Amino acid sequence: MAAPVLAGEALLLGLASGPACIAACGPVLVPALLSGHGGVRPNTRTLTVFLGARLAGYLLFAVAAWELGALASMLPGSRILLMGAVNVVLAGALLWYAWSARHICGGSCSDSKLVTIGAGKSHRARGAAALGLLTGLSLCPPFVAAGFRAAQLGSVLLALLFFTCFFVGTAVWFVPFAGLGCVVRNQAVVTVARMTMVLIAVYYLALGIAMLLGRKAYGY
Amino acid sequence: MATNVQAPRLFRPAPRSPAQLSIVRSLLLTLPIVLWSLLMFFRPGSSAAPSSRIAATVTALFVVALFFMMIRTGTTYKWRRAFFVAVGLLFPVGFIHEVMVMRGSMGIPIEEMIAGRTPFCFLPIPLLILPAAFTRSLVFPGSILPNGGMSGGGMAAMVGIWLGITLVIGRGWCSYACFFGGIEEGMASIPKRAKIRKIDPRWKYGPWAVLLAMVLLSLALFEPAYCMWLCPFKAVSEYVAARSTIGLVQNVIFVVLFGALVIVLPLLTKKRTQCSFLCPFGAFQSIFNKANIFNVKIDKEKCKPCVACQSACPTMSLSKESIARGEASISCTKCGACVDACPRGAMQWHIKGTEPGCKPEHARLMFLYAAWGMAIMFGGSIIAQGLATILNVLI
Repeated sequence: MAAPVLAGEALLLGLASGPACIAACGPVLVPALLSGHGGVRPNTRTLTVFLGARLAGYLLFAVAAWELGALASMLPGSRILLMGAVNVVLAGALLWYAWSARHICGGSCSDSKLVTIGAGKSHRARGAAALGLLTGLSLCPPFVAAGFRAAQLGSVLLALLFFTCFFVGTAVWFVPFAGLGCVVRNQAVVTVARMTMVLIAVYYLALGIAMLLGRKAYGY
Repeated sequence: MATNVQAPRLFRPAPRSPAQLSIVRSLLLTLPIVLWSLLMFFRPGSSAAPSSRIAATVTALFVVALFFMMIRTGTTYKWRRAFFVAVGLLFPVGFIHEVMVMRGSMGIPIEEMIAGRTPFCFLPIPLLILPAAFTRSLVFPGSILPNGGMSGGGMAAMVGIWLGITLVIGRGWCSYACFFGGIEEGMASIPKRAKIRKIDPRWKYGPWAVLLAMVLLSLALFEPAYCMWLCPFKAVSEYVAARSTIGLVQNVIFVVLFGALVIVLPLLTKKRTQCSFLCPFGAFQSIFNKANIFNVKIDKEKCKPCVACQSACPTMSLSKESIARGEASISCTKCGACVDACPRGAMQWHIKGTEPGCKPEHARLMFLYAAWGMAIMFGGSIIAQGLATILNVLI
């Protein structure tokens, strides 16, 4: 198959799957962005790191899917174990991220000095990268569909091309998230975002443990 | 960070006694509520069982008497609380009886929940928004149809009714219509003094966090996540049939949350802790508090910050900052506790767009007609159903 046709197919698949990707990543991404510094530019930076790491996760998976035929040969039980492990690690990353946001708005965000004091940018970037990579590895339905398609391709380069184009298609849907930078950051918003991350982390942790123990969780 | 939300006991002034209205005037002002109650409880042509007729009569007398006392005494909170606690206690009675008759068990299998064979509950309304916007499908776990099943038109009508009421009374819904808050309000009223007085005000952000988390998870999982995992009232209504370890875990969460937030913490804090720290619907309703016309204002000239209002507020909607600002915070449920507790009459009912202090009794009366009319419509039927169930058992 010609590369342009394949790229177009992947792009269309990504564009069509975008809402599902937003739904899958939203619980992680929205509170993570809200717990960071305000402003469209810092928000876009965090979003870029998140998406970049997500792309890395995609490409990693593309190589594995093609080289090993991983998805095609993986038994459902093993797939659930892998998802369980990813969910547990994701919960840990979310908790760490929520903890690292404690200085973002210590006391009052109306004082600009307090906003700039606190967790270093590199620390926040590492957190965003960890969350992006882990959401990139989680086996949501569109991702699995793309994985199956990539595993059928003739070379690893084509698989990488397919996943890159698929990523670009889905990433378009993430652009509006940069607008969360316009939400005013004050103690209330940052605290709510951190609490939300903890709640979602607990959910992923419970889900991950249930999957690792081989229990069927509703919705999966 | 912890803030003392209780006034120092020694310096707490006695509540002001509002001027009483004459009996004749109070009766005249109660007349619309009498007519509304007759319409709600005694529909012409209905052939109800004797127990239902007795229950309807008792309920009608109860709600009319409470409203009369509100008008006569000029106080709101304790009369409203009596109604609200009655709704909270009798809701599980009628509801559990209903599901036992229908299914023989309080446990609802997940298939039936997915099929919408559980009665209407307003709590998941905020969780509908994103899934409906993205997929044009409802993930609502309930039905307003008598035989179960989902009706998009019916749901739209119900959401429309809720929205209309909400635009009129805002978060007053949480003090006059919610059939869950009464139990914890009853618990909070039992002790004379709070054992726990220092509560970190950041816990007030809990409902917003739960709202955000549940809305996002509902979209991600395409399930009403709050109903599945966090609703404390599953413990006294319709729990998940525990056919697996996950179901068991869900029920343990429901019971623990109910025990902690609806029983134990209200007893220790004298606050509605579930409403203040967890309920996502309460946070959602708070947004509409900005859009409706009634609120509670503080006359800064009369106010000598004794924090009696802050201490009396069951939902922690008053803080030193909000008192300084001259109004209750966005989470105010318009229960009237602060107005009744203020020793100087500085807390006043207010209609937005009018001058603060401009005929607060008129504002109160207008609010009470709207809120009590709605309370009778929702809570009144719940009281009547619960009483009828008890009478059926006893007689």
